[in-house]
Amino acid sequence: MHRSRQAQECKASRREFIRQSATVVGATLASGVLPGAYAAGSDEIRVGLVGCGGRGTGAAVDVAAAAPGVKIVAMADAFRDRLDKSAETLKKELGDKFDVPEEQRFVGFDAYEKVLAANVNYVILATPPGFRPMHLKAAVAAGKHIFTEKPVAVDSPGVRTCLEVYEQAKAKGLGIASGTQYRHSTGHQETIQRLHDGAIGDLVFARAYFNTGLLWYRERQPGWTDMEWQMRNWYYFTWLCGDHIVEQHVHNLDVVNWAMQAHPVRCVGVGGRQVRTAPVFGHIYDHFCIDYEYANGARMMSMCRQMANCENNVSEGFAGTKGFAEIIPYRKFVITGPNAWKFDREDNKPYIQEHTTLIESLRAGRPINELKNIAESTLTAIMGRMAAYTGKLVTWEAALNSEENLMPEKLDWNAPLPVPPVAMPGQTELR
Amino acid sequence: MHSSKDSEAGNCSRREFLQRSGATFAAAGLTGRFGDLPPVHAAGSDEIRVGLIGCGGRGTGAAEDAIKAAPGVKLVAMGDVFKDRIEVSLSSLKRTVADKLDVPPERCFTGLDAFEKVIASDVNYIILATPPGFRPQHLKAAVAAGKHIFAEKPLAVDGPGIRTCLEVYEEAKKKGLAVGVGTQRHHQAEYIATIQKIHEGAIGDIIAARAYWMMGPIWVFPRKEGWTDLEWQLRNWYYFTWLSGDHIVEQHIHNLDVINWAMKAHPVKCVGVGGRQVRTESKYGHIYDHFAIDYEYPNGVHMLSMARQNRNCENNVSEALHGTEGFCQVDRYTITGAHPWKHRARAREGVPYLSEQEKEDHPYIQEHVDLIGSIRAGKPLNELKECIESNLTAIMGRMAAYTGRMVTWADALNSEESLVPATLDWNMRLPVPPVAMPGLTELR
Repeated sequence: MHRSRQAQECKASRREFIRQSATVVGATLASGVLPGAYAAGSDEIRVGLVGCGGRGTGAAVDVAAAAPGVKIVAMADAFRDRLDKSAETLKKELGDKFDVPEEQRFVGFDAYEKVLAANVNYVILATPPGFRPMHLKAAVAAGKHIFTEKPVAVDSPGVRTCLEVYEQAKAKGLGIASGTQYRHSTGHQETIQRLHDGAIGDLVFARAYFNTGLLWYRERQPGWTDMEWQMRNWYYFTWLCGDHIVEQHVHNLDVVNWAMQAHPVRCVGVGGRQVRTAPVFGHIYDHFCIDYEYANGARMMSMCRQMANCENNVSEGFAGTKGFAEIIPYRKFVITGPNAWKFDREDNKPYIQEHTTLIESLRAGRPINELKNIAESTLTAIMGRMAAYTGKLVTWEAALNSEENLMPEKLDWNAPLPVPPVAMPGQTELR
Repeated sequence: MHSSKDSEAGNCSRREFLQRSGATFAAAGLTGRFGDLPPVHAAGSDEIRVGLIGCGGRGTGAAEDAIKAAPGVKLVAMGDVFKDRIEVSLSSLKRTVADKLDVPPERCFTGLDAFEKVIASDVNYIILATPPGFRPQHLKAAVAAGKHIFAEKPLAVDGPGIRTCLEVYEEAKKKGLAVGVGTQRHHQAEYIATIQKIHEGAIGDIIAARAYWMMGPIWVFPRKEGWTDLEWQLRNWYYFTWLSGDHIVEQHIHNLDVINWAMKAHPVKCVGVGGRQVRTESKYGHIYDHFAIDYEYPNGVHMLSMARQNRNCENNVSEALHGTEGFCQVDRYTITGAHPWKHRARAREGVPYLSEQEKEDHPYIQEHVDLIGSIRAGKPLNELKECIESNLTAIMGRMAAYTGRMVTWADALNSEESLVPATLDWNMRLPVPPVAMPGLTELR
């Protein structure tokens, strides 16, 4: 199980956390009733967890710590065993804040619908990302506030759904936070603010890295159908995960888009499946390097790798006309040049802060909506994957309007679901 | 066969070329009156007597270029491991520069030691154009024999080869021998003018750079029955790292060289990715089909380098520089920003090239014009050092991609990984090395 989104650990002090919580309580007392569709006369956050893997379980723990008056009340997963294991962990960690009786535990592909129909007002969407657009759409239709894990889609049709959902949520006054937690890290926020204020002049070149080791994987077991194996081993199938440039590297691409206040307009890239070639690893790549271009001519070099025993690096760097900036998440935030600066405190706990910010915004009646940002960063990653898979130059328009729908026609536990061929640049078509 | 080094074309006008050639002769004080060539050759003559070592497409092209570069240049000896390659080369040269050929059968040498026999002939200008794995050995022998040299790029495929080249560089300086290298952008008027502007500060300080060699696949020779391991690898040399260095070294060196030239420095370290994704058949040996390297220079400036040899993909061979005051698309000789500029050779000279071919050929000839001119002027050029540094830049990138590790300049320079077999024998067993696997392949 991978509880956090990555290997880095948060380092905020306990005191800082308590201070933050206290602030939230103050805000709560003043604001009273939560807006949106749920039990009147209460500002209780009633959480429905959709997707009970490592990250979903972690997010449930985080939301319970983010503010007072939060309860986990319903759960959904495709698999009974994953749900039970998560429930066991949450019960142990959360005590009274975990209140999910058997009749509020739902299993199967349609389990999310049952959670949405339950008495919840805040859903955590943490299934494999292939399902996210469908879940986002249903959750907003049901009038729920949403904490959605990143990425929010694995293909262009999914991103288009997310952009529609963004508008619908705005119209309905629903809050949506996304699991791009760097946006909620104090170190990142203060650094990016300085970049926006011109501390290093115009940004002309950025670097984004997620070079890291191997992740978990699940060998196929006797009796598992194609679908069960792919669902349990979801990271290695693009229809479920989007490949690691989308699933993981989206974090760093999102930071660069945030700093640039824009998304790239085109890209070219290379990638391949060089070392991690055993069948258990499905058909995804183990490395990518993408050369992105923004509308103003600025460039981003993006590199991501999942290989054992290699040089690791998860960071973002910026070259500006008046200096350089370097960010190593949670640990190092430095600007050099005439406006030299260094973030010299401990970073906060952004995994918790992202829920705190969302809940505060709900209770204050000014719901935040981060869906557009994360949809654009997701599409940034998808266009990079498309460029590497096909060897072609991919424009933002081509990525946004692509008709390539990776989702199987039918979600059926018993239907044959062959593993797609590994993408071959020059042969794999850009669609 | 690829007779030019790449598909890039220069923009220098024919008039400019002729003018420059004239200037070279004037500088040497030689127009119509040839003095003695210093220092090692037939006394009483300034004739350039060319020995060609490596008679493939590039060597043949280089011999023709040298002959066209100045009067008084003759091809007098040829060496190749294969007799058939000499024959093809000679018949091609007979069609273009027949009257400058003086290569009787007794000065056509074949075999693994052919280079020694060419060097021992009465030649004073050696063209080294074999697969690059042999270059350090050939450079060393040619300088030991006191010959002027035109060496194709790259100069080496590994750290030990680079160190040999550095020794040769010093030795050639000491002996007053000229060494030109085939990084022809250094002899292309447009590139020279553009880099000059960069060095004058036209884009302020350089803060990032990008270098690309992304193109389709090149020639391949599948193994034929009766060929030994060595014969096949030599004929199909591009696909074996001990011979070619992989395409990041063999080809992308050009673009890395331009960035080093602009930066007046070489990178201090790099990290990279790469793989053999599409071009996986056994006829393609064991090299990669793509690389992407993140290089870092001493002042924190990064260079994105991308090299690919895949069919039907987005192509791009170029160099770009981002500065504090502007941007330079080097291969388009264009600067934008605070001090916009564009090289306007044609507008200034007013005479267009006679043909696309002439435009393309220009820098390849110019590199010999400059080298021969320097010899005749008694001020021999020695271009080895810069090319060695660009060469090692490419090697360290390959090492980073192959191993997955961060590779420093010192790691690359001091590497004990010697790829070239110590001795060669036509019947030796020479298994194809395994394809490099990042995280498994060791950094040595």
